[in-house]
Formats: sequence, structure tokens, C-alpha cells
Amino acid sequence: MLFVKQLASIIIVLALILLQGCAFNRGTLGDDIRPEAVAAIKKTATTKAEVLSLLGAPDRLLQVNGRDVFQYYRYDAKAGSLLLIIINFSRLSIKSDDLFVILNHEGIVEDVISSKRTDGLEFRFWPFGE
Amino acid sequence: MKLPLSGLCPILLSTVMCVTFFGCNVARITLNTPLTQDDVAFIVPGQTTLADVITKLGSPDSITDSHRGIVTTYRFHDMTYSRVNFGWLLRPWSPVDPDLIISRTGFGADAFELLYDSDWVVTHQSFLRHLSGSRFNPYPF
Repeated sequence: MLFVKQLASIIIVLALILLQGCAFNRGTLGDDIRPEAVAAIKKTATTKAEVLSLLGAPDRLLQVNGRDVFQYYRYDAKAGSLLLIIINFSRLSIKSDDLFVILNHEGIVEDVISSKRTDGLEFRFWPFGE
Repeated sequence: MKLPLSGLCPILLSTVMCVTFFGCNVARITLNTPLTQDDVAFIVPGQTTLADVITKLGSPDSITDSHRGIVTTYRFHDMTYSRVNFGWLLRPWSPVDPDLIISRTGFGADAFELLYDSDWVVTHQSFLRHLSGSRFNPYPF
């Protein structure tokens, strides 16, 4: 039992030493676009009112090709910094999730365009390379 | 006591490295993953549809209407920043914190734009302007 406690103490001290001088920051803009809400939207069936009840009011309302387009977006930013006193490295990565719902003249969903780029967003410290 | 030359070299080297990097900041900001010509090579004007583009590249950042069709835009930015504060060299001997800073920021902005006809088939495609290479060079002159 004593050995386990000593080991845990050593691990905690090592973790604190290794993480010293590190900074993690995160910022988001907009609400998460729920995948189940997007999945519930059916082409040629879902109405404009149903889209609004599922996702709320759009962030942007566009007129494209004679159709209404609802745009929903969310931004996620992750920043990692290594503060080594004499030299500091920082990297901020920003990605967005975008959802476009295209409605026809009758107010029925014609197409849904969505992608979730923020899933692959990671904290990065090293500013060089890709 | 005399230090042997082999023992002095690492000390000198580390001192020079420390002095060179004193007060250095290197930062980078990226928005989305930059697209390359290879990523968009699959697009054939007159054949590729919006659905094909979204399958490969994901949803665009914006969709706008124009007199000649619909425009979708994929944006990506890459900003680099480097800064050196030579004032740090005097801090141990100075009663105030002196600053002698040189810094430089490079902002690479690019976008990939596609023009579609009314049937959502690609008619034109182009990069707005290519990103300048990411360089960390604090020399501003």
C-alpha cells in the first residue's frame, strides 16, 4: 500500500514537472450543431418550420439560385503554448463546422450540406511544419 | 582552476544559444486545413457536382449567388509571428525592464472558389491567391 502511494506521488510530481510552462486555451463561437438534429432533416419531406424547431434560427439566411439557404456554423479554437522562459512556442488552430439547409420555393428541404471539421482538432504546440 | 577546452565548448555553445533565443516568441495561427492542387485535382468542370465536392472536401465556408451561377468558397489562413526582445540581455543588470523588440508577422490568406451552374455542376474553379510560405523571420527591415 505504501509503495502504491509513493508511486502515485512520484507520478503526480513528474506530471507537474513535465506540464510546467505549458498553457492550454480553448475558445468556441456558436452552439454545437447536434448530429441527431441534422440526421432528423429529410430531403423533400422536412419543412422550414421543422428545421427551425430542430436547429433554431440560422446564423445566416442566404438567397441562392432562387432558394432560401439556412446556414448554421460553429467555430472551435485550440491553442497550446510552451513557455520556456527564454523562448516561447505557441500554436492556435481554428476549425469550423458548417451546415447549409437548402429550401425550395415551397419551403421544403431540398438538400442538406454539412461537415464536422472540428472533430479532428487537437492541441498543438510546435509552430513549425504542417 | 582551468577548464579544459572540451568542457568549455558546450558551456560556450549553450550560452550563445541562450543569448540568441533570449525573449524569443514564435507563434502560428491556422484556420482550417490548407487545400492543395492535389486535393482538388478530382474536380472536372462540366462533370463534377456539388455533392461530389462536398463528399471530398466537406461543406464550404460560404455559399453565395452571382449572376453567372452559385459560388462556394473554402477559406484557409496561415499566420506566422516571431519576436525577439534583445532587452532581456540587460535585465540582470538593469533596474528597469528595457525592451528592444523586433518582430514580424506574416499573414497568408487563401481561398478555393468554385462556380456552379443552376444544376449545381461545377463550371469554374480557382484558388484565390496562394499562401506565402510560412517563414519565421523576426527581422522586419
